Amino acid sequence: MILSLAWKNVWRNKKRSLVVIVAVTLGIISGVLLIGIMEGWTRQRVNDAIYNEVSHIQIHDQEYIKNEEIDLTVSNPDKIIRSIDSLQGLSGWVQRSKIVAMANTPWANAGVMIYGVDPEKEKQVTGIHKKIVQAGGRYIDAEHPGDILISDKTAEILKLKQYFVTDSILGELRVEKVPETVLTKLETLKNIRFRSPGDFREALRKEFSKKELDRFGLLITNKALDYRIRNKVQITISDQEGTPIQGIFRVCGIFKTTNTGFDQATVFVNAPELAKLYGGNTILIHEMAILLNSIDDVDDVKEKLSRISGDNSVSTWKELAPDAAMMNDFMIVYYFIFVGIILLALAFGIINTMLMAILERTKELGMLMAIGMNRRRIFKMIMMETIFLTFIGAAAGMLAGWAITEALGKTGIRFAGWGEGFEAIGFAARVYPVMTIEFLLFTTVMVIITAIISSIWPARKALKLNPVEALRTV
Amino acid sequence: MKVLELKDVNKIYNSSMVKVHAVNDVTLDFAEAEFTAVVGPSGSGKTTLLNLIGGLDMPTTGEIIIGGTNLSRLSSSQLIDFRLNNIGFVFQSYNLIPVLTALENVEFIMLLQDKPKQQRQQRAIELLTQVGLADKIHKRPGELSGGEQQRVAVARALASKPRFILADEPTANLDTKSTENLLDIMEHLNHEESMTFIFSTHDARVVQKAHRVVTIEDGKVKSDIEQHPHN
Repeated sequence: MILSLAWKNVWRNKKRSLVVIVAVTLGIISGVLLIGIMEGWTRQRVNDAIYNEVSHIQIHDQEYIKNEEIDLTVSNPDKIIRSIDSLQGLSGWVQRSKIVAMANTPWANAGVMIYGVDPEKEKQVTGIHKKIVQAGGRYIDAEHPGDILISDKTAEILKLKQYFVTDSILGELRVEKVPETVLTKLETLKNIRFRSPGDFREALRKEFSKKELDRFGLLITNKALDYRIRNKVQITISDQEGTPIQGIFRVCGIFKTTNTGFDQATVFVNAPELAKLYGGNTILIHEMAILLNSIDDVDDVKEKLSRISGDNSVSTWKELAPDAAMMNDFMIVYYFIFVGIILLALAFGIINTMLMAILERTKELGMLMAIGMNRRRIFKMIMMETIFLTFIGAAAGMLAGWAITEALGKTGIRFAGWGEGFEAIGFAARVYPVMTIEFLLFTTVMVIITAIISSIWPARKALKLNPVEALRTV
Repeated sequence: MKVLELKDVNKIYNSSMVKVHAVNDVTLDFAEAEFTAVVGPSGSGKTTLLNLIGGLDMPTTGEIIIGGTNLSRLSSSQLIDFRLNNIGFVFQSYNLIPVLTALENVEFIMLLQDKPKQQRQQRAIELLTQVGLADKIHKRPGELSGGEQQRVAVARALASKPRFILADEPTANLDTKSTENLLDIMEHLNHEESMTFIFSTHDARVVQKAHRVVTIEDGKVKSDIEQHPHN
């Protein structure tokens, strides 16, 4: 009956209790969503780092990590390959030549890292082949040895990305039901080459109203985008003696990951074609990248490979992508900070409400003490009232937060205005919030602890009442 | 048989400015099945005396002995348990728990005594029937009249099977009819169940019903008279 009394007491002042419950609910929803977004971003960053950029484990010459020179190749690769092939839980592995290079077009140049790869094997380890942009050509293959795969960002720097409005594009837009008034305005930009998205956007801004841009801007930009596929790119590297050598490659495709930093620095060619350039008889192996079935095996595999790696260094994804590793490791700290702030605010709201409730019921509490309700039971009653009050809000918040996170986890949240900024630091412009069972348990435990701690002050206040004085109150 | 003894009881309140001798050398005893009114003008010390008898306040000097137990020797938590099992309280403003029904209010005190549910319910229904509220056991205090609420309070006070019932001006907030009704019930319980009643009052109608009238003035017992109740 004490529990039933505590429950009934919660509903004595319905309006006040509901205000607290709604505050707790909104607080928990915002906490769940914030953590969900952080978790979504972290997972995306870690996944992209592993599956597009660095794999689970890489092996290099010890010096190569610090000083990426052409002659610092992996030593004893055959021994290592045998060891890799015998690994349990191996998803795939590749060996690469990886050389610092300068890429030139007649209009611009860019410093890049050129990856000499076996395209088919590379597909087993990295997801770059799935990242070819719309109208961005195709992935490299062994049948076209002179091809080069560059990123959208590199294409932009090398002026291989352009915006070009033609009659056929105007026709396509007409099919998409873009009004004639808009198409008439777009006619003024026909046959003008814009070399950067910024210039094109600026030109559109001058021609169109904000409303027209909001409605058709993205569609027009996507249609007008044109990569100069099959254009030649000159690559300059230094051979083992330090002499610059040039080679010509043709752009076969454009890729785009969520990490502009990686994209900007990375181009892919066929390894034998790159070997021709540096003039070796064999393909130089600067990097071996290993993808495992499970991220949990990384440390074990590293230890195993380290034993046989000799002068080479074995690095895990955490060492190769420290930003992603830091985010992954710091999620628990984020949990504590976000949830801590929300719960602290809630605790004060709950304490305030309960103190008010006790002040209002001073006489009744005096009566309960007089007729023989002991301190333990009074403490329990107040504590249960506080826990009920908190828990209704917390449960509603968790449920609503979970539902919202699940829904947004499917559609994603697009931070349209900040997309470029996010991508510059390796985060997708569209984040898919995730709610984990660990977070649910963690938050539930934290809410219980907060409710118990919040109840102590009001409950102690109730216990300090003198029944004679309490009974005298009006 | 003595239910309650007060020996040379004094209660002095020391505030920074004045010293108030609220109860002054009171020696009294109450036997089983007594129906006693404590009367006196406002500020005479009636309520303080009842608080001392009820173990809600401690005397400055003197002894209060209930059923052989000296209240001064009990710790505060022992005192709470003692009150629960030995004293039934009826307050001037009923003081029922507003969110519980009449039945639950009466049951509540037995719950504090850890009585089993079936026993609690059976006794609560019996008591509410005795006070004439058999048809209102599921009503909450807010749905009952003042007289009905006070009858629930009497049933609650009896529920714990106390040694005596202490009622501080139980009729102060009631109209004539409700007062008569409540007094009839209290008399009936006193007669039928040999329950000891000690109540403070200003009300002449209540005083007339008492078997014994203790008059307090300035904290002292001015008179202690046995009388034949007027009906």
